Amino acid sequence: MNKITVHCTVNHKPVSVEIEPNKRLLDMLRVNLGLTSVKEGCSEGECGACTVIYNGEPVTSCCILAGQAEGADIITLEGVSVDGKPDVVQQAFIESGAIQCGFCIPGMILTAEALLMKNPHPTMEQIKEAMSGNLCRCTGYKKIEEAVALAASRM
Amino acid sequence: MRPFDFYAPATVVEALELMHQHKENVAVIAGGTDLVLELNERKANPAVVIDLKKLKELDYIRVEEGVVRIGALTTHAAIAADRQIEKYVRVLHEACRQVGSPQIRNLGTIGGNLAQSSVAGDGLAACVTLDADVTLRSVRGERRMKLDEFLAGEGATRRNILAADELLTEVSFALPDIRHTATAFYKLAKRKSLAISVIGGGMVATVDDNGICTYARMRAGALGRYPMPFPTCEAHLVGKKLTYATMLETLPIMHDQVLEANKSRPWSVFYKKESVQGVFKKVFADVLHQLGLEEVQE
Ligand SMILES: Cc1cc2nc3c(=O)[nH]c(=O)nc-3n(C[C@H](O)[C@H](O)[C@H](O)COP(=O)(O)OP(=O)(O)OC[C@H]3O[C@@H](n4cnc5c(N)ncnc54)[C@H](O)[C@@H]3O)c2cc1C
Ligand code: FES
Ligand code: FES
Repeated sequence: MNKITVHCTVNHKPVSVEIEPNKRLLDMLRVNLGLTSVKEGCSEGECGACTVIYNGEPVTSCCILAGQAEGADIITLEGVSVDGKPDVVQQAFIESGAIQCGFCIPGMILTAEALLMKNPHPTMEQIKEAMSGNLCRCTGYKKIEEAVALAASRM
Repeated sequence: MRPFDFYAPATVVEALELMHQHKENVAVIAGGTDLVLELNERKANPAVVIDLKKLKELDYIRVEEGVVRIGALTTHAAIAADRQIEKYVRVLHEACRQVGSPQIRNLGTIGGNLAQSSVAGDGLAACVTLDADVTLRSVRGERRMKLDEFLAGEGATRRNILAADELLTEVSFALPDIRHTATAFYKLAKRKSLAISVIGGGMVATVDDNGICTYARMRAGALGRYPMPFPTCEAHLVGKKLTYATMLETLPIMHDQVLEANKSRPWSVFYKKESVQGVFKKVFADVLHQLGLEEVQE
């Protein structure tokens, strides 16, 4: 197996990563780049814990091969905060009490960020639809949806 | 995941050459929503993986001379967001809109859905309902065929006719004339999102100026290996005035057909023979609404 070099933009900085082709984008971000906010839950596209913003859209990084990310623009939770301080969405999650164990939260926040980048004033229905690919075993979703609505109200 | 070599060709011609060169044990990858999971679970163990995502030439939705052409690399999200598909091809719009989750729709492609030929493939069920054609390409050239024929073929994976070094490049079908033709899809699933179809039912129905049915095609996914046709139900409708009452008359036929086809799996047929009827009641109501023939209250 020949190693490949993947060139892409991660959290607004260009990177190049030498990696075995049989690794997923999830592995590349966590292991090679140390971005451990990207969580591995189900490993099969179901839970959304591994969500990253990929060329502007939320995707599950467990379903992408590292090599496919050549040229991609990727944002993880580490790329969201402003000068080390929580951004609008993160702040809204904290204030709404939307975080319990926290495992699903990086994926939740990135999905919400991607929604608000495209549609800064979503309806509650649109919020629910956008967040439907992120599972949470703790909160029961209501506070998470409220947090996204709160963030939207401040956009 | 077992080790493999990885290529990301920039053109279809280059991809076809690479596939041909490595045809003994090659896999192509589009959205990866089926394949990466199979690689990870070692259900697929190719020596070479070829990425199709750089082939922008296969990412399009075009309507030309009454024919809708969709490139294999078009995502479910792109199809669901397309205004023309939403207006003219409800069956495909509804199927793509409900695949998996937003994340899965951003990755998964229509070509991957057709090539995977899964029992529960929603894009597949919709395209078979439309009696769509697929275009396949290899170093040997291009061939085009009905999806039914594609599915009946025994190619490299035995799921369909695709040879090991062959790409599905396009799916195409006639643009429905919505003054006389309605198409609809309804999916029964266990959860609102992420759910693989329990049953996905699709229909195309055409009426003349007097509301007489001149064409009907009904298919349901996840009932058998391939989207199940209901020729007796279709024949029952053609030549009659299209009403909810007439459409309901097809349900007992459907019930018996599903029962017969799933005899060997009694545990699944128990609810499927009932729920398929519920699915098609929704489909019928939508078709009648679109054609402006009848509003069904439930
Ligand atoms: C959580 C989850 C939920 C899902 N929900 C649904 C659902 O509701 N409905 C549904 O229908 N599906 C669902 N799926 C399955 C999957 O997302 C779809 O089948 C998707 O369309 C596959 O497309 P892809 O581009 O990701 O395919 P890939 O995984 O890239 O490829 C699938 C197969 O097709 C082959 N292939 C891909 N493109 C081509 C081509 N152009 N020519 C020849 N061969 C090709 C690959 O070699 C591979 O064998 C779900 C999957 C997940 C993980
Ligand atoms: S780990 Fe990727 S979706 Fe669950
Ligand atoms: S806060 Fe625990 S999984 Fe969501």
